[in-house]
Amino acid sequence: MSETLKMKEQKQQKKYVPEISQKEIEELNKSIETSSQKIVAETIKKMKETDKNRPKTMKYFDEMADLFDKRKKEIIEEKKSGKKVIGYLCLFAPIELILAADAIPVRVNSGWYDASKIGDRVVPVEVCPVIRSTIGAKMVALSPFLENSDAIISVLTCDGMTKLGEILSDYKTVWQMTIPRIKDSDQALQLWNKEITNIKKEIEKLTGNKITRKKLRKAIELTQKATKAFRRLQDLRKGNPVIMGRDAMLAIQTYMWDDIERWTENTNKLCDELENRVKNKNWSTSPDTPKVMITGTPMFWPDNWKVPTLIEEANPQGVIVADELCSNERILNDPVGVDEWTMNDMINAISERYLMASTCPCFSSSDGNEDRINWLITKVKDYKIDGVIYYVVRGCMLYAMEYTRVKKVLDDINVPVYYLDTEYTREDVGQMKTRIEAFLEMLSARKDF
Amino acid sequence: MTITIGIDLGTQSIKIVILKDDVILSREKAFSGFETTEIAEELINKSLKKSGLSKNDIDHITATGAGIQMAPKVDSTVSMMSADAKAGVYLFPKARTIIDVGAEEARAMKCDDNGIMVDFVVNERCAAGAGAFIEAMARAIEVKMEEMGPLSLQAERASSINATCVIFGESDVVSLIHKQESKPEIARAVFDAMADRVSSMVRRLGVNPEVVLIGGVAKDVGFISSLKRKLGVDLSIPDYPEYAGALGAALIAAKRSRRKQ
Repeated sequence: MSETLKMKEQKQQKKYVPEISQKEIEELNKSIETSSQKIVAETIKKMKETDKNRPKTMKYFDEMADLFDKRKKEIIEEKKSGKKVIGYLCLFAPIELILAADAIPVRVNSGWYDASKIGDRVVPVEVCPVIRSTIGAKMVALSPFLENSDAIISVLTCDGMTKLGEILSDYKTVWQMTIPRIKDSDQALQLWNKEITNIKKEIEKLTGNKITRKKLRKAIELTQKATKAFRRLQDLRKGNPVIMGRDAMLAIQTYMWDDIERWTENTNKLCDELENRVKNKNWSTSPDTPKVMITGTPMFWPDNWKVPTLIEEANPQGVIVADELCSNERILNDPVGVDEWTMNDMINAISERYLMASTCPCFSSSDGNEDRINWLITKVKDYKIDGVIYYVVRGCMLYAMEYTRVKKVLDDINVPVYYLDTEYTREDVGQMKTRIEAFLEMLSARKDF
Repeated sequence: MTITIGIDLGTQSIKIVILKDDVILSREKAFSGFETTEIAEELINKSLKKSGLSKNDIDHITATGAGIQMAPKVDSTVSMMSADAKAGVYLFPKARTIIDVGAEEARAMKCDDNGIMVDFVVNERCAAGAGAFIEAMARAIEVKMEEMGPLSLQAERASSINATCVIFGESDVVSLIHKQESKPEIARAVFDAMADRVSSMVRRLGVNPEVVLIGGVAKDVGFISSLKRKLGVDLSIPDYPEYAGALGAALIAAKRSRRKQ
């Protein structure tokens, strides 16, 4: 064999992922998909039972929640007509640029518990399960969105994410973006701006579509409208409960794979219905139910809905009215703010929005990640939060490490916070239930006193 | 007059307390076994009989404990943390920190000046900070579990083991045996290691006096001595520390019953 041939062969070999037979892939894929659909149906059933007057407009989001059904089929159809799909792993991926190139953005992190065990064949169990599960999902071709992605945007945020993109490049075209770990310096914004400009070129190359000024403006306006609808929903969660947290969280999370225009339209319909509920004083649960906020590691549908389920089905019950998760509210919190609709200004606005507005703990500052802290305090006040659940999965170092800081600050304003550590598993539900119920009892007793 | 029952379904034993107007009428306990529900029911009947009461006299029954899903028919349930905090403050009104060390888990509760629980921590991932650890280590050095405490007090100096878990703890103990450490020294090392884990858990809440120690392990002189040393404070321990969870549940039952009336 000639040297060049040898090199070529080596190149085709996977860098990380071990060989796995087609038969095993198909078996695992099928068994996880079947159990996943069961879990989705069960979870939605329970959500309906928790709120007897559950908003009728949730029906749309329930439909979107089936990852193997409508939206999957739509995406496959659109691909046939030549559209490209661009997957992303972190919220730093500039959605507007993907939309402006007529491509479909989808977030591809995995929430499947069973897939994390498959990922264990590549990385040790000490690694965060979101990462292990995403690797596992790819190994058995489980996620319709990841499978249909023509390229993946991987942003080097936490340690897990830094290596995840590298591992996924065994299968897919992966574009890595370096995020500066210190936000507020000129060089940080300059570097990020260059990363954004570079990713724009990659997107244009892949899709064959030039991102024009007009198209980018249209894309920005589209996500601005989505943020507006999202904020409308959030305002409705500030008063007496007209929607359970689990329902709102599901609606918000479907944004990660839904058609954005249609999502916005349906979120506005949901808000119309909720406004009526306010008028009729038709509460989802008693107004003195303790109001809970969740922060910490992202929680991905469908399996990792464990904590919201435990909180809202607990005795005494809690209602989640806000979160500070990159799998939920952080997706839509901030619009791209444009002054002049020139190309330059729009690109700058996108850079700033994705870098400066983020409250990800991958950033560091001598103030102690002040942006996240301030944001948490603002939310606690705006939503009149009774208690905070600080959720961390094993291996999620950055969130685990920031807990002490967050607890100090919340202690100062006399808001209880509980550190809930768990894994991608169903086995600890009993223990978690006790801890969550004790926390909610504590919040109720404080309200009572 | 309010008569209530608190049941604590622990990992190793079931405890029952009957209260009449917040005064303890009787306390009973039994091993959990496999038929937890039946055993708990028998225990209720037994203690009712002893106190000269019938089921109709009872206003409210509240269950707590890790085996709560195995509880017989009760009026309500409450978490172990709330029950512990309630009992701690009832037994020692100035209690601000309550530590419960049971057979398989340890937890600590923080109370404010009104006796309301404001924070808690749990160590339930591993048994190294709980009673099962003493049991396993006693086996390793071939002494009875009850002897471990008194034995440890005879130790002349402290040696150490790294109790990250029962399994590793055991291999550490074996290496101490190989080093020909005496049994009292090993016993003390076991309690020191446990107290280390429990105290670092409590320190996350802050050690605010008065500190109360409850749970089955609160009867062990060896553990008490080690924990006092590690925390650097005095510990208040009630007469029947293993019944504290059941007592808390009975007190909460009384409160709930009065609210209904």
